[in-house]
Amino acid sequence: MVKSTYQPSSSALPPLPPGWTEHIAPTGHKYYYNAETKESTYKRPGVTPTPPPPPPAAVPAAPVAVPGALPTAMPAAVPAIGPAAVPVSGYVPPLSTLNLSDPAVANAFMAQYRAQSQPQQLFGGAKPVEKPQPKPRPQPKDKPKSKVAIPGCEPWVLVYTKYGRRFVYNPVKNASYWRIPEKLMPAILEMDKERIRKKAEGDQEGGKKEEEEEKEKETSRAPEDSKQSEKRKESEAPSEQPPQRDYDSSEYEEVEVTDDEDEAADQQDQSGPPEFTEADIATQLALMNAEYGEQGDYEAGEEGQWEEGDEGLPLSEEDARALFKDLLNDFHINPYSPWEKLMEEGKIFDDARYTVLPTTKARKEVWEEWSREKIAQLKEQRAKQEKQDPRIAFLAFLQEKATPKLYWPEFKRKYRKEGPMRDTSLSDKEREKFYREHINRLKMPQSQLKTDLKKLLQSVPLSQLNNQTLSSHLPSQVLADIRYISLPPEVRDPLIEAYIKELGPPPEASENAEDEAARQAREERRKRHEKALQERERAVAEEKKRQERKLQIERERLREEERELERAMHVSKKGLQTQLLGDQMVKEDREKMETD
Amino acid sequence: MPAIRPASKRKPPPDGFSDIEEDLLIFANKMKDAQNTPTDNIPKHQAQWPIFQIAHQRSRYVYELYYQKQAISKQLYDWLLKNGYADAMLIAKWKKQGYEKLCCLRCIQTKETNFNSTCICRVPRAQLKEDQDIQCVNCGCRGCASTD
Repeated sequence: MVKSTYQPSSSALPPLPPGWTEHIAPTGHKYYYNAETKESTYKRPGVTPTPPPPPPAAVPAAPVAVPGALPTAMPAAVPAIGPAAVPVSGYVPPLSTLNLSDPAVANAFMAQYRAQSQPQQLFGGAKPVEKPQPKPRPQPKDKPKSKVAIPGCEPWVLVYTKYGRRFVYNPVKNASYWRIPEKLMPAILEMDKERIRKKAEGDQEGGKKEEEEEKEKETSRAPEDSKQSEKRKESEAPSEQPPQRDYDSSEYEEVEVTDDEDEAADQQDQSGPPEFTEADIATQLALMNAEYGEQGDYEAGEEGQWEEGDEGLPLSEEDARALFKDLLNDFHINPYSPWEKLMEEGKIFDDARYTVLPTTKARKEVWEEWSREKIAQLKEQRAKQEKQDPRIAFLAFLQEKATPKLYWPEFKRKYRKEGPMRDTSLSDKEREKFYREHINRLKMPQSQLKTDLKKLLQSVPLSQLNNQTLSSHLPSQVLADIRYISLPPEVRDPLIEAYIKELGPPPEASENAEDEAARQAREERRKRHEKALQERERAVAEEKKRQERKLQIERERLREEERELERAMHVSKKGLQTQLLGDQMVKEDREKMETD
Repeated sequence: MPAIRPASKRKPPPDGFSDIEEDLLIFANKMKDAQNTPTDNIPKHQAQWPIFQIAHQRSRYVYELYYQKQAISKQLYDWLLKNGYADAMLIAKWKKQGYEKLCCLRCIQTKETNFNSTCICRVPRAQLKEDQDIQCVNCGCRGCASTD
């Protein structure tokens, strides 16, 4: 990928004469103003009346163009010229007649270019046409920087220029070409690969990317293209280059240059080939990587692979899912939130792991799974956590914030967004009660508060509060009491610590005591049980007696009747007479007795 | 209309409400915004689209939390329905086969249409013409057939 070699000429321009200042018009043009003479001009005033320096290489003679205005006025047009015009049609438009500073012309040109250029997957900067032009002085000059002999094609050498472009040169025929001849193509590709492989150890990621490029190139590019990628002008500040990635994405520059144009450069090259060190390559690769990072227009899935996969292998489904879940975890996504919220916020879009999954549908699926797991996890956690008395948190909050200066409604309004104030497990009424009581207690004398605290501490059984209790882990019985927060902590804490020290060890007997109580309770229960039993027995016995008596009486009666029957059955021979007589006699007897 | 009790006298919502409170608040705010945006310069039939859409989203949110993620308790779910956070009738439809993605109840109300048919958004995409972009009149749905 080659950066434009175009440089805004301002750096090369002579400094402005005193009194002149440079400004940028709302249209983006630069103009110059002299405060003393109140004169303003588009033309750059010079100390000597030199003609305005010619615009950059691509537009050698732009009649109206103000130097320096070009990059802002039509940034896209410049870089597009070369690759468009030259290789595709083979027709080199007379650039000198093409005034690209005119937007209309530029647009027309662009339209023509786009129609011709094939859609390419590669990314990268567009190539500006950059012909080494010997003549105009302030022109940025591309110089040969290093040369490499092309193995297998002996007389030919591959020359790298200062700006990272390269051409082939045949010293025997004294011919040089930007476009690499077909016969040299395989050898040069071989060289590129070799170099990349060497680089790969030092800079894995970069190497990978280049290999990727290489592959794509080999499949998609026409063989006559020459590679122009890795080198780049380091000194070029990004602000100085016109935005140039829009139209062309080729890696290989497709510019043909005639020999004589190049000759000067070649001679320079031969005279002294500068060192081109490993470090240079490294920095350029780093630059290139940065460039890749900036560009977002390549396939989404690949980035993740580069990030994570060691060898650039596609991630397995599970890995991708795990990665995406990791991403969700890292961004602390609320598992309860809806998917739409996640998409609207867009926090996770920038992360490389976002793209490990190819489609949004897949992402949503993974997100659903993740949220389900996470929620289950949270539930479990909460179940394990012991329930804390909500009063403790609220009282701690009161101790911190409550002042006698605020009435409850004011206090409530002021802190309505705090957690303890919003906790639904404590009703508002309770809160109010606590607040009022606390405020009232704050007005009481300290001695009173201290005794209250002591009373509170004494009320806690030894099993809960003893000399092994940490002052940071007081029993909730203490913490949830209003008396605990009445004293300021700096007074209260020493008091409590002193009290704890005085206390005995946690009673071993505490268990016994508990047992005792339990036994007592059991005993009591048994006693009660026995008593109840006895009572019942007595009741039963009485009932029995009554029954028996009843039975006897009944039996008596039965016997009586039997006797009577027997008497009735005893009828003698006298028959009824005696019976009747007997009756009579009995009657008489009775009468006698009555008369007596 | 029953008297609205002050917050202090209201029964607290069931456990777990605090987890989803924030998201529900976002929905409520969205809904308020949608209700308050002026509808002067949009076609009359489109005026209520955002309302329908937000109501759908919120119902879907509650539905998924309860039926698909099992994230909220039965009590909380009932409480949410009772308090109007989700449309119980719509959720009832979602449980039926063929209605899993239903956008709104109006779109299956056949009695309101001229030919006693459902809304265009109920037509599966396979049965529509190629590249036919539809948006239903009722709620702006672009297609809610289960097979889509």
